[in-house]
Amino acid sequence: MVSKLNRTFSLDLIIAAACCVLLGLLGAGCATVRPEQRAILADPIMQFESEPEEEAARQHVLENREAAMGSGSIKGGGCGCN
Amino acid sequence: MSLSLFSHRVIAKPALHALALVAVVCSWSGRRAAAQVLDADVRANAFYEPSKSSHLFVFNPTLAVAAIPSDWLKVNASYEADIVTGASEPVKAGRLGGVDVVSAATSFHDTRHQASGGFALTRESTELAATYAYGTESDYRSQSITVSAATSFLQRNTELRLSYGRGWDHVCTSHFREADDPSVRAPLDSSKGCFTNAADRDSRQVDLDSFQAGWTQTWTPVFTTQLNATAGLQHGFLGNPYRGVVIASAGDIALENHPENRARLAAALRLRYYARPLSTAFGVGAHVYRDTWDVVGTTFTLDAERYLSSGLRVQARFRYYAQTAALFYSDDYTGGEPKDGPRGQYWTGDRELSALHSFLLGGHLVYKKRADQGGRLLGVMLGFGASAGLDLMKTSLSDFTWGGTQPNDTFAILGSLGVNGEF
Repeated sequence: MVSKLNRTFSLDLIIAAACCVLLGLLGAGCATVRPEQRAILADPIMQFESEPEEEAARQHVLENREAAMGSGSIKGGGCGCN
Repeated sequence: MSLSLFSHRVIAKPALHALALVAVVCSWSGRRAAAQVLDADVRANAFYEPSKSSHLFVFNPTLAVAAIPSDWLKVNASYEADIVTGASEPVKAGRLGGVDVVSAATSFHDTRHQASGGFALTRESTELAATYAYGTESDYRSQSITVSAATSFLQRNTELRLSYGRGWDHVCTSHFREADDPSVRAPLDSSKGCFTNAADRDSRQVDLDSFQAGWTQTWTPVFTTQLNATAGLQHGFLGNPYRGVVIASAGDIALENHPENRARLAAALRLRYYARPLSTAFGVGAHVYRDTWDVVGTTFTLDAERYLSSGLRVQARFRYYAQTAALFYSDDYTGGEPKDGPRGQYWTGDRELSALHSFLLGGHLVYKKRADQGGRLLGVMLGFGASAGLDLMKTSLSDFTWGGTQPNDTFAILGSLGVNGEF
């Protein structure tokens, strides 16, 4: 019963999330930032990973200490995880 | 010693081949391209737990080079190592065991090498990329391939990216048959004999699959968002081959026994906004995670970055993370768990599978300088950069003990120093 409820809830959540993404993608068409307006967006401080190598090293540490990290990683082994 | 030398020989070939490939492609395409760029990044990362017992120290030097021999091709190669020293408890006991496992902690030292190489093909608004990586250490071997495709449209305001990764890993364990009852399997005492024909060692496979979809959207000249969804599948020996767990009140110890399959799902949303009045960029992020071991995790991040002067910028960051325990996790398996329940069928001594939360506070300083039009820095470089990063991390374990004793290695320092040049 609880399992069925969880499945229904999960399905509703996925459908709701998919609808939000679809609406977002449709709304994205209304967003027009012209190339000459992209100076700030192109700056390193506006990148999601402004120092990618440093970020990768930090993720590497976290993946070995937190279960929810590295779900998209295929980097196995090592690094003091024993 | 001989194993260590073997590891160096194994890693040296792919690393040299990858670096040679970059050089060959660069020189070949150089005849066709008027301007070519070579990026080199050298970095040293360190992780330290200043605790009384573990003194875990990981030194991680990395070298990455990338060549852009023409406007449609980029090739890259990298090498990194994890040099680990410290002490760890080989046996996990809980509150009820009354066993002193802390003073039984043993010192260890290991080195992991990883080399990778890849390329990216770029057309006007599309990029296809592939990377191969090979890693080796005394008790673990890994190979992986990652392919990705990205495209941008609506005047480059929308970017969609898909990637898939496949890993083929091998982990060394003590010798046992699959048919053996998990309760009689013994943990490894050392990596001696691993990946040889030693009768008391086995090599077990770990298969890893990863899928990722990302959507990056620019909304205004100062506001952008990124949504990522990831799914991962793991199959094979997913425990720690060295870790024994006390599973009976008489003190019986068995090798950690994790399920052989794990499916992982995660979604992350990040926002980035530039506040003109403050001349500062702010970032906010949320990450949610769930897997078939019933671990649910949430992460929240906050950062701010701004220029102190031309070329010199500073970032401050904060991160909060919390997770629930795996379905089969218990601090102590001697408390009469039902044999047929998840805690009777599987057992773990991994703190990563217990309920925990952590805080991380840190930042970095980055300096970048580009040569004037047509000029070179120091006569050779088009650009130069240097960076230094520092993070402090505190973890709280709500239901994990070493025989009833709270672990004292829950504070960690992460440091990073790097320089890069563009030639």
